[in-house]
Amino acid sequence: MHNNTAVRLASIVTALGAALSAPLPAFAAAAVGQAAPAFSATDTSGKTVSLADFKGRTVVLEWVNPGCPFVRKHYDSANMQATQKSAAAKGVVWLAINSTHAGASDYLAPAALAGWMKDQGAAPAATLMDADGKLGRAYGARTTPHMYVIDARGALVYAGAIDNKPTANPADIKGATNHVNQALAETLAGKPVSVATSQAYGCSVKYAD
Amino acid sequence: MRLLRTLLAILTLGSSLPTLAAPGTVVTTDQVRAELVAHAPQGVVAGQPIWLGLSIAHQPHWHTYWKNPGDSGLPTTLQWTLPEGVKAGEIEWPTPKRLPIGPLVNHGYDGKLLLPVRVEVPAGFAADSLPIKLHAEWLVCKDVCIPESGDFALDLPARAAWSPQAAAFDAALASAPRALAGATASASLTDSGLQIEIGGLPADWAGKAIELFPETAGVLDNAAPRQAAWNGNRWTVTVPLSDQRFESPQRMDAVLVPAGGAVGSRIGFAIAGNWPKLAPAAAAVPAAAPLPAASTAPPLGLAAALLFALIGGAILNLMPCVFPVLSLKVLGFAGHAHDRRALMLGGVAYTAGVVLSFIGLAALLLVLRAGGEQLGWGFQLQSPAVIAVLAALFTLIGLNLAGVFEFGSVLPSGLASLRARHPLVDSLLTGVLAVAVASPCTAPFMGASLGLAATLPAAEALAIFGALGLGMALPYLAASLWPGLARTLPRPGAWMARFKVLMAFPMFATVVWLVWVIGQQTGIDGAAALLATLLAMAFIAWALGTPGIGQVARAAFGVVGVASLVLALSWMLPAFQAAASPAPRTGEAGPHWQPWSEQRVAELRAAGKPVFVDFTAAWCVTCQYNKRSTLANAEVMADFAARGVVLLRADWTRRDAAITAALAGFGRNGVPVYALYGADSARPPQILAEILSVREVRDALARL
Repeated sequence: MHNNTAVRLASIVTALGAALSAPLPAFAAAAVGQAAPAFSATDTSGKTVSLADFKGRTVVLEWVNPGCPFVRKHYDSANMQATQKSAAAKGVVWLAINSTHAGASDYLAPAALAGWMKDQGAAPAATLMDADGKLGRAYGARTTPHMYVIDARGALVYAGAIDNKPTANPADIKGATNHVNQALAETLAGKPVSVATSQAYGCSVKYAD
Repeated sequence: MRLLRTLLAILTLGSSLPTLAAPGTVVTTDQVRAELVAHAPQGVVAGQPIWLGLSIAHQPHWHTYWKNPGDSGLPTTLQWTLPEGVKAGEIEWPTPKRLPIGPLVNHGYDGKLLLPVRVEVPAGFAADSLPIKLHAEWLVCKDVCIPESGDFALDLPARAAWSPQAAAFDAALASAPRALAGATASASLTDSGLQIEIGGLPADWAGKAIELFPETAGVLDNAAPRQAAWNGNRWTVTVPLSDQRFESPQRMDAVLVPAGGAVGSRIGFAIAGNWPKLAPAAAAVPAAAPLPAASTAPPLGLAAALLFALIGGAILNLMPCVFPVLSLKVLGFAGHAHDRRALMLGGVAYTAGVVLSFIGLAALLLVLRAGGEQLGWGFQLQSPAVIAVLAALFTLIGLNLAGVFEFGSVLPSGLASLRARHPLVDSLLTGVLAVAVASPCTAPFMGASLGLAATLPAAEALAIFGALGLGMALPYLAASLWPGLARTLPRPGAWMARFKVLMAFPMFATVVWLVWVIGQQTGIDGAAALLATLLAMAFIAWALGTPGIGQVARAAFGVVGVASLVLALSWMLPAFQAAASPAPRTGEAGPHWQPWSEQRVAELRAAGKPVFVDFTAAWCVTCQYNKRSTLANAEVMADFAARGVVLLRADWTRRDAAITAALAGFGRNGVPVYALYGADSARPPQILAEILSVREVRDALARL
């Protein structure tokens, strides 16, 4: 037992030291393999949704922006909706997030965004509004779409593109490997994720300057 | 009239059809004007290169991307369709511009851009013209992005000069980054990122801020600020790595653009050092959680080890194995309360007995270990014979206390008076007895001390065991030296007889436990055989030791007793032998628990499954307590199931070299040991405390 006490003491001191000495990052800190940053955001119906609400469940984060042709590539072809539905069937929580700032030309108010998602037949558990970009910056979301998979233990196990064909052409979806489907299958089977990061492609997330 | 109009329409339609169907050299959109251009001042000559390219004129505020587009975007792609043998090279990208957008950074172009491509004309080329087809795709963005594409075609006449955009080509080729003559570059991976050192830079660059564009995407962080410094004509910059890095290249190229310069320079460098592991496997360490306990005992100073050994020894007195023996000594107090000196000496003798026994046992352990035996602490209780002897001893003591026989009647009178005349020897032997039974009960604090002791030089190891003994004897020693305690005890009287009988019961309880251990080791037959033996012994003890029986009767009973003892032994010994044959029980299977083996653990860890190993033994009371309390707790089992933890049990009740070695691997020498392996096979297991609490197990599982 003294082993535990001594080691615990040491780790507390180290953590304190690290916390005091590390500079605050300007953008992003989420790293694959580490704990996914906790967050709390409002969804399109005004409800507060936190990552902690889904403790013990696998969570997928999808950065979305209806104004982006790459997002539309995956929605018009029903690829994103199919990925969402297959994830939900496995008990995975899917959160769609929009980090477009209010002054951007393609900003959509919560009701409009919810309406678009409904029209598309999208099936996320919630669509979160992140107009101040806090959530996007915490995760280092750069593009729309940008996909993250968080496993049941709260670790980030995948960050990157939805598939491995970085184009705007819907015809490329069929032959591409869907990284999210693959990461979910591996995580739910308790296996390590084989492709844990990939080049996210799409339009840049419209953060405020 | 209508016919004429129709004919006219058909004619115009006919004449416009070819232009509608065939792509030209220009594609115009609302954002760009893209044109397929060529530069062949000597025409298309066999063996001579020509230049082709895509010229993009961006509308104001719109931009396209470089080969490494940065945080978002896609580079322009060109797909050429050329005749057989005509090979188009890669795009000679002009020097890019840094395009910040909020917290993100892209690399690209705006205004007028030409992307030149060198085309090799094969030696045997003899055609009149070179048909060129191009399918180009580009992503053009302002604040919104529009992916666009165009199909272009051009028939390049072979024998005439073709260079309407000569100036544009010259400018584009001039603005392509050039190799920096005389510059040397190297890079190494540090904690804060990739440190790139470039020497031999042009003199007029010195002191200037330099923009560095990596040509490989997905490695470096594009937006984070970079530390750069000049040292003479050496420039060093540290670039943080991308938090979603998916490449670990050995070499990289980059374009350097000094402040105020328009044309960049290309530099290549090898990367030394190890890339941080790309996305480790599924297990996570929550950043705020405390570190898991190390699998090897952290280095203990000798003083600390001695202190812990002392405390551990003291706690041993509370263990059910020791308490009955201690109760004997408590009885002794009551008898000698008036004689303080005798009490003190008795206490010292007891202490001596305990300490010497511990040291003796330790010495034996070390000697046997040195001889190569896979032994651990408690090893003496892995032998059924030893347990049977102890059970017999306790039975006799219990019967004596209960009044079934008197030692005086059983033992030769000489021996009995020896005992009476040498109470010190009696105390010493009680101490020895206490140690013999206490040793397998590994108390908290003992584990690490013993593990350390096994690795120390003999003198220090024995010192630690001696400290353990001292700790165990301490309460009794303190009591015997403290006169107050002796005086608080009531004077001897009739109550003593009843007290004596009362103390028999803990003795018998210990016998029950020992019988159970034998049962674990040798099966129900062995346990029953032992009980029969004990019964026979009890009968003999009564026959020989109870006062008030005539000599003849005594002799007769004695013979019957001895005969039944022989019978019982003849049953017990073979039962023990049968069970002694190796087939080491490494653990009972059950609905939840599987038998442990080193190989099984390795298999499960390789498969990324978390594993919980319970190193236990039937003779270890702490283990049994944990087994029946915490490890049977419904919530704990549910937690195990929820996390897919495989439960393995390593049963050390009988000698098992593999388990002994595994325990040594944790720096431990005895049981219980509870090891929780996470799914990440690179991390050592968490070792839990010896007395498990539900909270501790659940917290440990949560930390997985």
